[in-house]
Amino acid sequence: MKKVVFLSTCVRLTSLTAAAAMFGIVASPAMAAGTLAGTSIDNTATASYDGPGGNRVDVPSNTVSVVVDELLDVVVDSANPGDVAAQPGDAAQVLKYTITNSGNGPEAFSLVANPAVTGDDFDPSLVQIVIDSNGNGAYDPGVDTVYVAGSNDPVLSPDSSVTVFVINGIPTTATDGQRAAVELAATAKTGSGAPGTSFDGAGEGGGDAVVGSTGADGSDSGFYIISAASVALNKTATIVDPFGGNQPVPGAVITYTLTATVTGSGSATNLAVTDAVPSGTTYIGSSITLGGNAQTDAADADAANITSGTVTVNLGDVAGGQTRVVTFQSRIN
Amino acid sequence: MKRALASAVALVAALAGMTAPAFAGASPINLTSKVFVEREIVDSSGRRSVVLEQPSKVVPGDRLVFVLNYRNASQQPAARFMVTNPMPSAVAFERTQDGSEEVSIDGGRNWGRLVDLRIPLAEGGVRAATPEDVTHIRWFVPQTLGAGSGGKLSFRGTVK
Repeated sequence: MKKVVFLSTCVRLTSLTAAAAMFGIVASPAMAAGTLAGTSIDNTATASYDGPGGNRVDVPSNTVSVVVDELLDVVVDSANPGDVAAQPGDAAQVLKYTITNSGNGPEAFSLVANPAVTGDDFDPSLVQIVIDSNGNGAYDPGVDTVYVAGSNDPVLSPDSSVTVFVINGIPTTATDGQRAAVELAATAKTGSGAPGTSFDGAGEGGGDAVVGSTGADGSDSGFYIISAASVALNKTATIVDPFGGNQPVPGAVITYTLTATVTGSGSATNLAVTDAVPSGTTYIGSSITLGGNAQTDAADADAANITSGTVTVNLGDVAGGQTRVVTFQSRIN
Repeated sequence: MKRALASAVALVAALAGMTAPAFAGASPINLTSKVFVEREIVDSSGRRSVVLEQPSKVVPGDRLVFVLNYRNASQQPAARFMVTNPMPSAVAFERTQDGSEEVSIDGGRNWGRLVDLRIPLAEGGVRAATPEDVTHIRWFVPQTLGAGSGGKLSFRGTVK
């Protein structure tokens, strides 16, 4: 019995989050912005009494007015439903966030992404921040607007939100199961700081701007999880000769067994096993099996085919921890 | 003496609900409205105190105190004296200083004590009215405002 180990290969995966990205954002409940900045609160009371003529007399008071100043508040939320699966070496993995103006005036916000959060397993490399300019909640490369600080800072109406994507590269050194955080911070352009800090005359409508409970500076982290899969392919051959032995003589039948084993927390997508029928042998028709089930030789609905002397078996997506076994036979000439 | 007589005449006129001698000038009753914002101050030793400030900075959530001063500057008492204050739409009523008020929750059509008022629900039934439902406040205190006398009313509200 001969045993030949042919190859061991690593198969790259596509992101598990592609499907999730198709759905719109679930709008997070925004804090009520309250009365809009610049609104005048006017109070007038009326006194009434029986006048000397017996008729009712109404006497209005003066009107006192208070103009509502601008409250600066912002909330940032990670908008991915969970960790985003990524593979070592990915060039552009997307994290999604929502930024909500929870203040009471229109406000521009500057954005900063920090991929070097401490306490996680690795540091992604920031590629760019992209604003969901078409508002569909999904990252559309080339369509959505790349954020340039100071140039296109998003301006949000009170209580409204915008979706922002942070695109990062994944280092090739990251290993299966490692997790990394990327923090996105949004800061009110008018100013931020301790709640109650006031920026005189800087508010909407010429009033003051006052920092609210959020400090006018919000941040949240999204996470990548490395979900890699490795595929090991093992090939063995057994020989049965016409004389009941196992010698490689003309007329002997060789049964090849190809075993694909997937390991890791991810899955191998569109995994295919191919093997050329060795020269000096002749393929035995309809001898391909997958998991013990016979396959036809034609390229048709089943997984296997033989074309130009090469056996191909399409295994589809195979999750980590699973094994697929393919066999075929050929006869020595 | 003259003053007492005038009072009696005015009172009679009020009770009778009919014409009376026309003494008065244009507006013998003065009513002034002021507003302050409540601030909590924490001093260096951590003691908290609440002060009323001129409302130079007001943001949603701030508590406003409205103060109404009234005075009868005339020589006659004003009968069935009443002060009405519609709530500014951006202010949620909290309470008055002494609870002596009547309120309306329907734009001034119906009046009562807040605890007695009910709001019908779309799905049937009613719920108790809350301070935020108040649209108008009015006071009957004092019922007759004597000549030369006056007083102060106040209520609190929160900027919505």
